[in-house]
Amino acid sequence: MKYTTTIILRDKKYEVKAGSTLLSALNKLEILPESIICVRDGELITEDTILKDGETIKLVSVISGG
Amino acid sequence: MKCKKCGGKAAINMRQHNMGLCKDDFLQWLPEQTQKFIEKYKMFTPDEKILVAVSGGKDSLALWDILRILGYQADGLYIALGIDEGFSYSAESQRLTEKFANEHDLNLHVVNIAADYGTDLPMLAKKTKRGRDKPCSTCGLVKRHEMNRLARDFGYDVLATGHNLDDEAATLFSNTLQWNGDYLIRQHPVLPSKDGLARKVKPLFHFYEREMAAYALLRGIEYIYDECPFAEGSTSTQYKELLNQLENQHPGAKMHFFVKFLTAKKKGLFAEPTTEIVPELHICPTCGQPTSAQENCSFCRMMKKSSEW
Repeated sequence: MKYTTTIILRDKKYEVKAGSTLLSALNKLEILPESIICVRDGELITEDTILKDGETIKLVSVISGG
Repeated sequence: MKCKKCGGKAAINMRQHNMGLCKDDFLQWLPEQTQKFIEKYKMFTPDEKILVAVSGGKDSLALWDILRILGYQADGLYIALGIDEGFSYSAESQRLTEKFANEHDLNLHVVNIAADYGTDLPMLAKKTKRGRDKPCSTCGLVKRHEMNRLARDFGYDVLATGHNLDDEAATLFSNTLQWNGDYLIRQHPVLPSKDGLARKVKPLFHFYEREMAAYALLRGIEYIYDECPFAEGSTSTQYKELLNQLENQHPGAKMHFFVKFLTAKKKGLFAEPTTEIVPELHICPTCGQPTSAQENCSFCRMMKKSSEW
């Protein structure tokens, strides 16, 4: 059985392996933790959070210009 | 990760401070730190009238919110630039700014460039040499001119902008790459008032962009998430990404880069401005604002060229 977590950044959706840390998933996706805020069920979470099967993490890009 | 203050679950990890904080403690910590830097850099006092430049983005709305919470007399200024680019960027930014002002019963000045000057930013950028291929330069000139005009016309003591540490570090990086001495000398969280130019302050200069986004989200501030369409792929965005790569490997690198620059300046490691670097200011015969030019200021020259196009 495959356990996955969905990660959304802007209009992109990624499926990553559940059970590892969010930081590990971000590293695999080559997303810098410094450039995003992580939100789960409306709450901010830190990068050491263990990803659970079936949940969705929304990444909010923080870099703005102009 | 645990909150360093209460031991509860952390909402944000600030690696440069080796500190995680929960929602409540973070929302208390950030305004407290802002107050500390307002006092340390003598930005303004509770008796002074502050004009906050608000764009509808996370930083400026968060700044307005923090100053309001700290009890300062802070009014807002929104400059409608007429940027649409297919998704009503300016209109949406204005709507969110007005919504915030209404929700908190705050006084907001709105300047509409098209209504006041007969042209909007995209047209100005197309019509003038300054704006060709770089509308951000035109935008900066328009904003600086209008912010100073409003501050002067309405008697504000100080102009506050929402620049964060990432903005300042990217600017410093750019100016250092080019050894832009006159800009390096001027870069500081406080620019004193001078010859008709209002005092300018950046109370958020010590916070990472990530912290400001977290503050806005945790406070439930609705801000424009989309980047300005003209700023996409801009040099400053590229520099921010580069600095974030460095920060990822060396937590605190961005902060040290900018804060130690300020310390170096304070220690006199940069030459004092000379008359060559800081030119004498004159009064623009058209708008009455100070300018280093002997004739019309850059803004009025640009508007004149635009009308002749």
